[in-house]
Amino acid sequence: MVALSFLIWLPLLFGVCAWYSEKKFSGSGNWIALISLFVLLIFSIYLGNSGTSSLSWEWFARFNIHFALLLDGLALLLVTLTIVLAMLAVMVSWNDIEKHRGFFHFNLMFSVAGIIGVFLAADLFLFFLFWEVMLLPMTALILIWGHEGRRYAALKFFIFTQVSSLLMLVAIIALALHHQSQTGELSFNLGQLQQLVIPDAMQFWLMLGFFIAFAVKLPMVPFHSWLPDAHTQAPTAGSVLLAGILLKTGAYGLIRIVLPLFPSATMEFAPIAVTLGVISIIYGALMAYSQTDFKRLVAYSSISHMGFVLLALFSWNEVALQGAILTIVAHGISSAALFSMAGLIQHRIHSRELGNMGGMWASAPKMATVTLIFVMAGIGMPGMANFNGELFTLLGSYQQFPVQTIVASLGIILSAVYGLHLFQRAFQGPPNLQVTDLHFRELVFTSLLVIALIYFGLQPHIVLELSSETISSLMQTATEVRP
Amino acid sequence: MSMQELWLLLPVLIISAGILAVMIQASYKRSHFMAQGICLITLLLALAALINQYPTDVKTITILFEYEPIGGFFSLLLLMVGISVALLQGPYMGANSKEVTEEFYLLLLLSCLGAMLLVMSRHVGSVILSIELMSLSMLAILAYNRERKLALEGAMKYLLLSGAATSVLLMGFALLYASSGQMMLVDMLHSPMGLMAKSGFVLVLAGLAFKLSFVPLHFWTPDVYQGAPVNSTLLLTSLSKAAVFALFIKLILLVPADFEADMVRMLSWMAIASMLLGNWLALQQNSLKRLMAYSAIAHMGYILVAGVIAMGIDHSLVLEGVSYYLLAYLVASILIFAVLTLLSRLDDQQDVDDLPQLQGLFWQHPWLASIMTIAFLSLAGMPITIGFIGKFYLLTLAIKLSAWWLVTAMLVGSAVGLYYYLRVIFTLFAPAKNDIYQTSGAYVTKIWIGLITASLLILGILPGLLGDQLRNILAIG
Repeated sequence: MVALSFLIWLPLLFGVCAWYSEKKFSGSGNWIALISLFVLLIFSIYLGNSGTSSLSWEWFARFNIHFALLLDGLALLLVTLTIVLAMLAVMVSWNDIEKHRGFFHFNLMFSVAGIIGVFLAADLFLFFLFWEVMLLPMTALILIWGHEGRRYAALKFFIFTQVSSLLMLVAIIALALHHQSQTGELSFNLGQLQQLVIPDAMQFWLMLGFFIAFAVKLPMVPFHSWLPDAHTQAPTAGSVLLAGILLKTGAYGLIRIVLPLFPSATMEFAPIAVTLGVISIIYGALMAYSQTDFKRLVAYSSISHMGFVLLALFSWNEVALQGAILTIVAHGISSAALFSMAGLIQHRIHSRELGNMGGMWASAPKMATVTLIFVMAGIGMPGMANFNGELFTLLGSYQQFPVQTIVASLGIILSAVYGLHLFQRAFQGPPNLQVTDLHFRELVFTSLLVIALIYFGLQPHIVLELSSETISSLMQTATEVRP
Repeated sequence: MSMQELWLLLPVLIISAGILAVMIQASYKRSHFMAQGICLITLLLALAALINQYPTDVKTITILFEYEPIGGFFSLLLLMVGISVALLQGPYMGANSKEVTEEFYLLLLLSCLGAMLLVMSRHVGSVILSIELMSLSMLAILAYNRERKLALEGAMKYLLLSGAATSVLLMGFALLYASSGQMMLVDMLHSPMGLMAKSGFVLVLAGLAFKLSFVPLHFWTPDVYQGAPVNSTLLLTSLSKAAVFALFIKLILLVPADFEADMVRMLSWMAIASMLLGNWLALQQNSLKRLMAYSAIAHMGYILVAGVIAMGIDHSLVLEGVSYYLLAYLVASILIFAVLTLLSRLDDQQDVDDLPQLQGLFWQHPWLASIMTIAFLSLAGMPITIGFIGKFYLLTLAIKLSAWWLVTAMLVGSAVGLYYYLRVIFTLFAPAKNDIYQTSGAYVTKIWIGLITASLLILGILPGLLGDQLRNILAIG
């Protein structure tokens, strides 16, 4: 289905349009980016409606590499999430960007194209290509429009992800060569590689290559140190994309590649991965509590939340996997929401320091209310999207790893501690500065976010239905391998 | 020599005729435009002749030369480099240069001739003759601006060290000849090898390793690169590396089986050292030319990986990998030096070379900066550039042979390399500090550079275009 590839070309094309027209008519870039993202959203939903679709073109015949895309329920879910959060990114930085606005929109759309490519790729070579390519515009976003320490943050972000993905490249090539030695033909196709029988020792090393690449992206302690810098220094739009979607590509890689391709190695490795996940949960939460920078605090809370995803995925039973996917969606929305609040505050008071805030409820009650809702969502209040994800995760993983799960559930308590700490320091107490309340544009997108959080909190079955196919095939693999 | 053989020599003959034409033209009436025109026409004609009668199998031409597909492919690369340098020299010199203009093209054609003959050589005599023809004319090009002290110093270093390297090479061949009594490369290496012959072979490789600047024979590289006018550096880093590597790989493929294990050990260490040291020393360079020198050392190390593996198995993939990687390296180097050339003037005491001088280039000259960014990304091996495909070939080779030490060194090297390539790119995107000079006009040159950039991206995005055909082009497998 040729139309599928438009999901990748169109953002690029629109990005160039936005860049060009911003040069001619100042301010038009915002509208073009927003409208084209909306068109993309409709288009992707239309594509998703017609069921699973795929596409495969001959690309590099010498190595039997194909330009193969696959849009199934899970991919559709994440593609729509990507586009929606990109729209949020455009709206939140509507007046924020002062220099090189056209180029900014181009980079934004370019990274959307790369991220969608990662979610759609059904060929490992192609997957790797998009995996790397999405780094470039994101690095540019941090480097050019970021805050004071942007150069260091961009460098760190790029090198961490690049180096870890080199390991993945080696694993991909080794996998393809193994396919050649078994069947006489190289193959990078995910479906074909799944049929492969891989000896245990080799499976472990290959799994590790992929796992490290994804764990850096996720991020998992001890590979997390790029994240606080990148998130803090990135412009608001960059933080939204980073926290909302880029981290999810790591989880997506685990779901799509590591679990189905190396099931027995994954099971063997699970205790270590789960422990690291729990460490991430606790460490992230403790670090979040000790931050005084709004964005840095939210960044550390992301580490904590993504630890739940890791815990759930490696527990590998149906409830836990559902929990992982719910958490992915919920955290995507709620962390993006918190980062856009940070952006709105910074736009007003030119500071991210919690010490410089305080008592803002008095002058900006709407902003305070909305932030409170977002914080509550992050804490995992019942009725909001995050609650379902965390509940399912803990329920599911308790069956496999009771000790780790008990420790992990402390993370929820800690999240309440740092979440309320954040809110209290920023909005309560004696008012020491006047800020303007939310404008109409800001009110529109923040209330949409609130609705989304509550909607997915009350109706999680939409997410679960979309991902049911992936989960049931994963469970089938698990029953074959698990003793 | 039959007509048939003469006909096969046509590209070389065209270049020789071009050399005479430039000489006569310069003595008749001095004109930069004419000299450049004749030089370009010569190179284009040679290119056309080469493509027209592209070899499909090995044909020998007298005892000295042979005409075969791999050499043909390398000759294509060499001509591409030659054309780029010829096109860049015009804007670099400007209209009223203090230096004489025509002789540059003469020297350029001479070194192209030497390089093409080197690629075709099958006899010790022709190897020595063509390598010296190339190096000596290159030497004059390196010192082309006589008023730059650094250029003279660099050229002097190159003269002395390159002379020493050639004598090592000669000594090696002499030892090989003494033990085998043969002058043809194939016969020489196919006769049984005693200790003398083996040490001779090592000396030969050492001589070549000097020209390719493998660690530990790399010390001359940064100084010479930095001193030379930037367009000459381009010639040095692309033409001589490509031509010498063609010979190098030819010799390696001829290594007898009982000597293989030792050679693999020696070359592996050279490759690993080149990759690690080259990248390591490039880390803190502020001079772009020095940075490119160290990066050249590292990239030669990567290519040597393929050379090491060539002795193992699967020759077809090795040759494809080498060709693709070399193409990728040449294209990226041409682009980087081309941008520097367009920003500099030959008459100045210094080229634009320091990183701070390039700060904010993107906001002033977006096209040039974009080209440079893409070229550096290609050197770093980012996907959608040709450099990634080259790296992919080499990694596939190394993993296929389970050469984990080489794989590790490649990964570490790439990771370190990433840092300094990014440093340059970040500088280009930093806020602009001062106005940066750029050659105006020179549209033909800029179109040519644009074409090369486009091919860098196209071959990176659609690797199949060349990759699927490479086996036929090189007539292997």
